[in-house]
Amino acid sequence: MNGWLARFPVRAAIGLVVPALLILWWHWRTSAQIATFAPPAAVGRALAELLHSGDLLRDTLSTLKRAFAGLAIGAPLGVAAGVAMGIWRPVDRTLGPLLHALRQVPMIGWLPLMGLWFGVGEGTELIVISMSAFFPSMLNSHAGVAQVERRYLDVGSILRFNTAQRIRFILLPAAMPLVLTGITQALAFSWIATIGTELLTGAGSGLGVAMSQAQVQQRLDVMLVVIAVTAALGFLINQIFRRLRQSLLRWQPSVQ
Amino acid sequence: MSPYPHAREDRPPTAASRGALTISDLDKSFQIGGQARRILDNINLDVRPGEFVSIVGASGCGKSTLLRLIVGLDTDYSGELRLDGERIATTSLDRGIVFQDHRLFPWMTLEQNIELALLNTDTPKARRARIVADHIALVNLTGFEKAYPHQLSGGMAQRAAIARALVTEPKLLLLDEPLGALDALTRVHVQNELQRIWMTQRSTMVMVTHDVEEALYLGDRVIVMSPNPGRIRHIVEVDLPHPRDRRSPLLHRLKDEILAELTSGADAEEARDNLVHLPSREVR
Repeated sequence: MNGWLARFPVRAAIGLVVPALLILWWHWRTSAQIATFAPPAAVGRALAELLHSGDLLRDTLSTLKRAFAGLAIGAPLGVAAGVAMGIWRPVDRTLGPLLHALRQVPMIGWLPLMGLWFGVGEGTELIVISMSAFFPSMLNSHAGVAQVERRYLDVGSILRFNTAQRIRFILLPAAMPLVLTGITQALAFSWIATIGTELLTGAGSGLGVAMSQAQVQQRLDVMLVVIAVTAALGFLINQIFRRLRQSLLRWQPSVQ
Repeated sequence: MSPYPHAREDRPPTAASRGALTISDLDKSFQIGGQARRILDNINLDVRPGEFVSIVGASGCGKSTLLRLIVGLDTDYSGELRLDGERIATTSLDRGIVFQDHRLFPWMTLEQNIELALLNTDTPKARRARIVADHIALVNLTGFEKAYPHQLSGGMAQRAAIARALVTEPKLLLLDEPLGALDALTRVHVQNELQRIWMTQRSTMVMVTHDVEEALYLGDRVIVMSPNPGRIRHIVEVDLPHPRDRRSPLLHRLKDEILAELTSGADAEEARDNLVHLPSREVR
């Protein structure tokens, strides 16, 4: 942790160089032709305005709530399904083909159908977000369990493990790196699906809703603020999860 | 202080019934390319309780297969395998094994790995930590309890694997080329450790190895096997007390004899094999 703190300012500074150059270039371009693009200064004013009115905080919190609710439903179900398919071949044979066919449909593609069934609202959005968290968790967990090495299972058999012990002490920990990769992907997918469904359904509050309203009102500055917040939050969540993953996988030689 | 304070106070060792392995008329075949190929042919062997038996032979003579059968990972064979009169039908905590790769679970510390072996024993929970600590001490790894396997050197990991196999106090310990992946220096060191552990522990041990010197240094008897199919070719009694001196002239003489036997035998077998399998030579 100390090393990370010590390295952080330099690393962060390097990561900020390109965005800063872009903003400079943007400022230079927009100060010449104001009509086509909002200049950085206007975007800054819009940010202050949105922060002051509390709209930005409200939208951010609704989006976060939606994304994490979807993740909290979809990811555990996906891990459970993937592990079950990896351990019991009959489950894989019966459920596998259906699930692999269903995942070919882009998650946004489910919106019209779900809208018809459940109406446009929180329920529909939650289902679609959960589904987008479900599939990456399932696929990676399945692969993780399926590729557990025979030699470790032999040790379990020599130590007389029963099925529950085999799952708990061998299959799950051995699959953990890929399970966590699946959850990382689920995190990104549910974030994207949340913004996407909000944009399309446009109900209530949320960053996606704010984007579509800004489009209607032709508020380029507001749109850019929301995009920047979406990007920054998504990045931050991903970073936090990466730390968590590293601490969970500290037994791996490559994770130090 | 004895490094092995829990040495079976509840089960007094009666020489006749602890770890006597009987192998009679054992045959084993594998299906290779639709054809049954015999791997082990008519193996007969009695291992006495507390004996250290080494098995040497060229690769392909079925020595590792034999250990897989004895430990119970593979039960598809004909003939009989008995431990203390009981037929071997599956794995059992009475039979431990150490493989060439240590097979410690990388997601657990050394201590957790060894304690996990006690999961299905009736050892009281309260005593487990003590027993684990004693076995870590037995293999000289005290201080590394919290290390993950990737933080241990090859020799240390292999000693940890030996501790894991011994912690259940098996009647019979099988060693499948346990030192095969170690460098020469570490190997000699762990051989000495193994001899000391066996002398302290006195459970029956059967070790498969490529290394004739190692087989002779540790074994009360050395079983020399020949390949295609695997047969017992010769049994060498090593009539020297333990602990042994590596410079003993008897060990060197026996080593030369066994090596001569193995190399001449292997060449002959290989030449015959080639004649059978290469069509270009079959013409002659």
